Parts: sequence; C-alpha cells; structure tokens
Amino acid sequence: MAGMNDIKARIKSVESTMQITKAMELVATSKLRRAKETVERTRPFYQILGKAIDSISSLSKEENNTWFENSDSSKTLFVVFAGDRGLAGGYNANIFKLVEKLSVNKDAIWLPIGKKALEYSKHRNYNIYSELFAEAADQSVGPILSLGKIITDGFKNGEFGEVILVFTEFVSMMTQRAVYETLLPLEKPATSQVDKFETDFNPTEMLDQIVPEYVGGILYSALCESLASESGARRMAMNSANKNAEEIIDTLMLHYNRVRQAAITQEITEIVSGAEAL
Amino acid sequence: MKEFHLQIVTPDGLAYEGMVESLLVRSNDGDIEFLANHIDYITTLGIGKARIRENGKDRYASVSGGFVTISEGTATLIAITFEFAENIDLERAKMAKQKAKDILSSSTDSKTIEIAKLKLQRAISRIKVCEYK
Repeated sequence: MAGMNDIKARIKSVESTMQITKAMELVATSKLRRAKETVERTRPFYQILGKAIDSISSLSKEENNTWFENSDSSKTLFVVFAGDRGLAGGYNANIFKLVEKLSVNKDAIWLPIGKKALEYSKHRNYNIYSELFAEAADQSVGPILSLGKIITDGFKNGEFGEVILVFTEFVSMMTQRAVYETLLPLEKPATSQVDKFETDFNPTEMLDQIVPEYVGGILYSALCESLASESGARRMAMNSANKNAEEIIDTLMLHYNRVRQAAITQEITEIVSGAEAL
Repeated sequence: MKEFHLQIVTPDGLAYEGMVESLLVRSNDGDIEFLANHIDYITTLGIGKARIRENGKDRYASVSGGFVTISEGTATLIAITFEFAENIDLERAKMAKQKAKDILSSSTDSKTIEIAKLKLQRAISRIKVCEYK
C-alpha cells in the first residue's frame, strides 16, 4: 500500500511543477510577442546603418585611421549578451560556448550584459571590463548609446585592440542562433568610393562622431535580438517541459493503476485462501 | 516642385519614408537644405530642428545625432532620436530641461556634466520645435 501513496505524491509534485512551467510559457509567449515587434522595428535601422557606415568609411583616404586598424593592444573585448534568468533551454549556454570558442588563444576581456553573463564570467575569474550593464532586461536606448561611447573610447585609448559582439540572433519563433560580429576595428570596404560623395567636413572628424553612435546602434539592435531570442528559447523550453510533465503523469497514472489493481487482487486472494483454510 | 525620396530611421524604427520636396537639417556647422537632384553628399548632424516639405507643407521635427547621406538621388537620415513636432510632449521636455539644469548646477563629475549638457540641448531643441506645432 505504501507504493500507492508514493506514486500519488509524485504525481502531485509533477503536477505542481507543470503549473509553474505552464505559467512561465504563457509569460514568455506574451514577452516574445512584444520583443518580436521591437526587433522588427529596429531591423531597418540596423541594415541602413551598416550600408551608411560603409560609404562613410570609404570616404576616409588615410590608410591608418584609428578605426580601421588594431591598436597595439593584444586584448580582445567580448561584449556578451546573455539573459538575466535561466530556464531558457540552451540560450545562455550556447552563448558562453561560442565565446569560449572564440577566445581561445586570445587575451579576452568580458563585458557581460545580462546577469547570467556576469555570474558566468565572475565565477570563472575572467577579466571584466564593466559591471554596469549587468541587467539586460532594463536597458533602453540611452544607456546603450553611452555604452557605445565607452567602448569606442576604450578602443581609441588602446585598452583593447578588437571588439567582438556575441549575441543570439532571432531567426524565427522556433530558431535562435548564437552569432558573433566584429565591431571594431571597422572593416575597410573593398570598393573605394572616395570620390563619390561630396562633403564639407573632414571625413576623419565625421567618423569620430559617427562611430560611437554606430557602435551604440549595433549594440541596441543586438540587445533587441537577444531579448527576443531569450523569450523564444524560454517558451520552447517550457513547452517541452510541459509535454514532458504530461508524459510523466501518464506513465505514473498507469503505474498507479497497476499497483492498485495488484493490491486488490492480492486482497481477494488472501480472503479466498483464508476462507478455504477454514 | 520636384520631389525626392527620403527615408528616416532611428533605433526605434522607420520614422518616415516618402517623397519630399526639401529636407532641412542642422549639421555641426549650421543648417543645410537639400532639394531634389542634390549631388551625392554626406554630413553628420548636431542637435536641433529639422524640416521636411511634402506637398508644399512644412513639417518640423527635433533631431539629435546621426547623419544624412544623399546617394543617387535618395536621401537617408539616420538619427539617434527623431520626433515630429506633433509627437513631442512639451511638458516632459520642460521637465527634462529643468532636470538637466539642476544636474549641471550641482554636479562636479565631468562625465555627468557632459551627459547633462547633451540632455539639456535635446530638451531645448524639443521645446523650440514645439513652437511649430
């Protein structure tokens, strides 16, 4: 009889866990919808910005502009976008795996965005550039743009020679992919359009003004992509958790019924054999 | 008047897209106005007002940061913020102005002051643009 109670208790505990995962799925779904809208709004900005920065960088005739070459520093700054919370499938782990792969043979400094990224880098005693941006969820355009300025200033002052952005690209509701992008130094465009544009200003000065804004803009879109991906990943993870819980409950129910039947059969046999003995 | 294609993008999305007769922006050195068939051109933007003329009617906006490119007859304005006069919350801008002023008078940290200065400029530009509502 003890077996029956044990199974009942397990069913109950699985059911209450399922309630939590179900609620989390609902929350993730509604967050995902909002985040998806933001991503779709920021995408045109990101694409046009990329094109424009190409035309501006092609203006600069100097070969040794600060923005195009590695400075003397051998350090690499990784801007790592992860989540604030766990329980989102492989969302955080995939990002960290990618950073680890990229940072082999590199003198890496971490700039964690998201509590999980901060915890991870602290736990492993990595070099941390700034802890000011640890909460991914409440970053808005303003602080991210100032982060762009901080990063470009650091690059200019030679604190690091390379800036790599690691974030999760929001491919679709079902698919998210951990990707990286080299932010700085800027890539010198292959085709020179030096004489294409006319301007009244010094290209180098223009680049000095635009690059921090450009970096900030890219960071902001990476943040939006990451937040949408996090909700997407969490929704998927919670969805499979629900399915799994249902399966477990089904097997437990079957098991419970079997044990119950066995107990009844045993009781009947006992009574019958007891009656026979009389 | 001859029209040209203009696209305005900010991190919050596409702020404007359409055919306009003229685009006036505040560059670092002063106002520049673009008309159709302008030569390919690039300039960075300061903080200030912008004006678009569509169908003979003027629309004003407050812009901060970013740049304008004219390429093959189409103009692209990329800005950190771009708000049309009708979308600006005057009360909020006034409050932001006051707040920035308070910070400027009380703070000594050079970084905070720099940020507050930009905030003040932005607030002033918004309040000015509101006059064109």
